[in-house]
Amino acid sequence: MTKKQRALGLLIVLFPFVAFFVSLSIGVVHIPLDGVLKSLLSPIFPSLKQGLPENYFGIVLGVRLPRLLLALLAGAGLSVSGASLQALSKNALVNEYILGISSGAAFGASLSIVIFRQSFPPQISAFVFAVAAVMIVLLISRNSDSPIVSLLLTGIIVSAFFSALLSLVEFFASPYALQGLFYWLMGNLGWPGWGALSISLPLTAIGTAGLILMRWRMNVLSMSDEEARSLGVNIRREKLLVIFLATLVTAAVTSVAGIIGWVGLIVPHLVRMMVGVDNRRVVPLSAAMGAGYLILADDLARSLASSFEIPVGIFTSLIGIPFFILLLRKSKRIWL
Amino acid sequence: MSIWVKDLRFDYRNFSLHVQNLRFEAAKLTSIVGPNGAGKTTLLKCLCAILPIARDSLFLDRRDIALLSAEERARLIAYVPQEHGSAFNYAVQDFVLMGRAAYVSLFSTPSAADVEIAFEALEYVGLRRYAARPYFELSSGERRLVLIARALAQKSDFLVLDEPTSFLDPKHETELMDLARRLAVEKKKTVLVTLHNLDVAVKYSDAMVFMKKGGVVASGRPDDILTEPLLESVYEIKMTILRYDGRKFIVK
Repeated sequence: MTKKQRALGLLIVLFPFVAFFVSLSIGVVHIPLDGVLKSLLSPIFPSLKQGLPENYFGIVLGVRLPRLLLALLAGAGLSVSGASLQALSKNALVNEYILGISSGAAFGASLSIVIFRQSFPPQISAFVFAVAAVMIVLLISRNSDSPIVSLLLTGIIVSAFFSALLSLVEFFASPYALQGLFYWLMGNLGWPGWGALSISLPLTAIGTAGLILMRWRMNVLSMSDEEARSLGVNIRREKLLVIFLATLVTAAVTSVAGIIGWVGLIVPHLVRMMVGVDNRRVVPLSAAMGAGYLILADDLARSLASSFEIPVGIFTSLIGIPFFILLLRKSKRIWL
Repeated sequence: MSIWVKDLRFDYRNFSLHVQNLRFEAAKLTSIVGPNGAGKTTLLKCLCAILPIARDSLFLDRRDIALLSAEERARLIAYVPQEHGSAFNYAVQDFVLMGRAAYVSLFSTPSAADVEIAFEALEYVGLRRYAARPYFELSSGERRLVLIARALAQKSDFLVLDEPTSFLDPKHETELMDLARRLAVEKKKTVLVTLHNLDVAVKYSDAMVFMKKGGVVASGRPDDILTEPLLESVYEIKMTILRYDGRKFIVK
């Protein structure tokens, strides 16, 4: 690891903390940074509350803090699962969106919300269909002469299939439910309520932590299957474990925040450009970078218009796709 | 530390391998030769359980390979593929470190001792100075050495090299075979290589195995088994064996 990589790594670690703090001041009501600091510390030092406008306290702690925590965990989770899936499929183009996980999860969650009126937890339904989608993709695309192309193509096909199923759900939804569903599907971090979060946040945290623990294993799993096997890896078991954890994270995030695409692809890429390809660094630093990135994207979503919010998923796609094309043209080696 | 092939069968769609009762002696270099499609690589991949094999057909030190876990097997036998392709361009030291996978648990990262072993392996193949270089920036000869270093990091008693000298110039070919020889002599490893160059095989091998159409035609010390009729029956062209300076040379 060079000195430059070390310095950039440190910057990546600091990024979410700075983004988090600064973002507490951004929104319809602008709160100066010292106001943010005083509001954050006021539960411990009540005297700080004096002299602050009354609404600061409620906005910082009651509205923005929970939302930023959700953005932080969702960004970290999506990025870590993207990095893991890329190592696993030996393909830097792969993400949860391309493997059909997002569409499967979106269908599963909407099925639960619209048809079962949430009597069945949307997280579980999202997870079941996300696993179904990724397993179908992997089963169809294996044993192909050109695994990468067939993986991408089957991913598109399976995504299209689940999108059609999703349209069917939308067709049967009441106009009122449809509006909520529509807004949710575009990806937004508006407050989903403690009930939904109390399931999704722990699942996201567990999945992300598991993948971060397996960070070195990702290096070995990114070798060809023959090589990994000869190095002593139980390929089938370990691959399934990584897919399970990555899908768990994506399903948990999707069921509360909708489809927030391209985060899992862009973030690991930026990290690799800055600190090299060793997953011992890439996986944990993707968590930090992803958290900061989604917080900033959500700032845009919250503050661009004063009377309404734009879904953050629109921004991650609008930023992500041109950036992705740029990367694609710039670096040849890692695409192979 | 010997390998015993008892009754090994492996079937592809239009090819079948069947090897009965073959032994590879401990701490010796054995080369496997034969025409393309003879089943050399298939035999190696069966030995490393890259291909699925039946019970009771292959034994490492009297232990049935089919009954070993992936980790146990990787600590006993290391495989050096012809080439490595990856979407990610790892630094040489990180690449060699992957040889420690069988010693590092699933949710853990390599220890300082593992890193030390990886560096020792790089030192042994003479590439310590390239530790921080990206793998794909190396020449094909250097990449071969890095692949061997990764196998050395596995600390296995058995080492299997699949055509290690293909695409190498004579100098690198010689260096690589000298290294393979040292591994058998100095490190007491049981080394198996598949080769196409018969002169190289004769020069470096303690024993040779001739294969054809999925079976073993002859095996033993090069001096004992190497005859013109054998070469002609295996390769289906006329070859002449010349003696010079106490060694055998093969002329096509």
